[in-house]
Amino acid sequence: MSDITLYHWEPNANSGKPMLALMEKGVEFSSHYIDMLQFDQHKPEYLAINPQGTIPAMTHGSRVLTESTAIMEYVNEEFAGPELMPADAQDRWRVRWWMKFMDQWLAPSFSMFGWKFFVGPNAVAAHGKDKLEEAIARIPLPERQIAWRKAVYGLFSEAEMAESGRRIGVGIRMLEQELGQHQWLASDTYSLADVNGFNLAYAMPLSQPHLANDEVTPNIMRWLRAIYARPATRACWKLGRTHMASRVAILEQDYIAPKDESEGISSGIRSELDSGALSR
Amino acid sequence: MSMILYHGEPNGPSLAVLAALAETGVAVECRPIDLLAGERHTLPGIDHPLARDMGLEGEGPVLVAAGEAMTESVFLAQFLDETAGGAGLQPTDPYAHWDMMMWCRQITERLAPAASLLGNLANAQGPLAAVDNTKFAAITGAIVNDDLRARWQALHDDQVDAAQVADSETKVDQAVERCEAKLADGRDWLMGEFSIADLETYGWLAGMASLRPAAFAAAPRTVAWLARVKARPSVAAALARATTAEPLRAWAPGPEINRWG
Ligand SMILES: N[C@@H](CCC(=O)N[C@@H](CS)C(=O)NCC(=O)O)C(=O)O
Repeated sequence: MSDITLYHWEPNANSGKPMLALMEKGVEFSSHYIDMLQFDQHKPEYLAINPQGTIPAMTHGSRVLTESTAIMEYVNEEFAGPELMPADAQDRWRVRWWMKFMDQWLAPSFSMFGWKFFVGPNAVAAHGKDKLEEAIARIPLPERQIAWRKAVYGLFSEAEMAESGRRIGVGIRMLEQELGQHQWLASDTYSLADVNGFNLAYAMPLSQPHLANDEVTPNIMRWLRAIYARPATRACWKLGRTHMASRVAILEQDYIAPKDESEGISSGIRSELDSGALSR
Repeated sequence: MSMILYHGEPNGPSLAVLAALAETGVAVECRPIDLLAGERHTLPGIDHPLARDMGLEGEGPVLVAAGEAMTESVFLAQFLDETAGGAGLQPTDPYAHWDMMMWCRQITERLAPAASLLGNLANAQGPLAAVDNTKFAAITGAIVNDDLRARWQALHDDQVDAAQVADSETKVDQAVERCEAKLADGRDWLMGEFSIADLETYGWLAGMASLRPAAFAAAPRTVAWLARVKARPSVAAALARATTAEPLRAWAPGPEINRWG
């Protein structure tokens, strides 16, 4: 038995970062699935591990680690296996710069769309609003309570959504430009920045089909397909249980043409919601 | 290839990086710039200006190496430490390193925007409002990053959000509490051994002592720690670069307040 346990939701966003890093390193770990839509992350068993009630968290022996990007750095430094940080100091700086930019600027914008169109409606469909209010009241972090209320009651303002939409556009252009400079996101070596970035970007050709496709962002598409081709990525996304993770299969297509914005995240996910295809 | 560090007065992220530079002894040419005059946005000869424009730190120092503009004080300090072949600014044990990175993230995500908001309102708002419109338009016109430009504009226009000010005061108080708890076992430095965590935390917190004295009243260990950091030769050398009498009152628009709370 491994003395490493990872508490995670889908291979996606913050949960997917340490999952994929562990798999790239070839580290055996016990996978403990936390069903975010069932509020497993706020149950006493999990709060005993991470009192903040957010995922992911990892235990290694008696050590408890939180913060997805910092966990990845720990995984890379602590365990044998392929090195996931470049050797050159400036390349390492670039890895860290991009991870911060994605974690604290770009990902929250993607996440706002994800929460508005996926997390909120799904939770309402599964539990009903009354039950949800009780569940929300039990959330330890005030800022997570706010996010849940906005998602459940559809309270993201138009200004907020427009702002996030603008940032997504800027971020995608920046990624495309950077990926034109080196083979991988931060340098010519596969690194934690790629692990991080893939978790953010793997479904962009579906959710932002007008911004990310083989015509407008060839470098991003090359990059996403190259990461998808790695055995660790395949193994990691197999741990997904919802439709959200299975969107990764889009990267099996050799050519993805631009589509209209209206065919992106809002309409795409909503129609699947209606047909009940979102969760198994 | 020689490196150039463009930095503001020794306060906040400029202070942290100047001190890290002195700790590591890496050969870097330091060029002071006037952050509040917008000089950071007109640096010469940078052909890959991505980081300078889009870094989250706002008006932090810029290190130019091989034509690349590098930003974010914690990562610059790590870069200097690693360029020196390990100058002892980062724990080598992976778990202790994780602890340091977690700490620095809390500081840059929670304390930095709060300290920056309070510091700017108290010290930079007046001077900025006095800048004539043509000159201010020239400054903001050179800022590529929409978010950072909006923070300059808000400061110039004295748009004060009372809730954000209250939240920022709470976050400064919490940072002091966090330091006090970390130092409770009698250790000299935040992570046990001296590290980037001390420099980054000092950079953002030192200027709060005069702005928010109440936060420090019941925090004797933090007050003593601040004095210890200040007495480090590297920090003293950084502070000696000041061109104003009170560098800890020198502020320019900093990181944005976290949008998810
Ligand atoms: N900065 C943290 C963020 C963790 C976080 O907020 N995770 C989200 C899921 S991606 C979460 O736990 N949400 C649960 C909730 O809000 O109830 C990290 O990177 O690990």
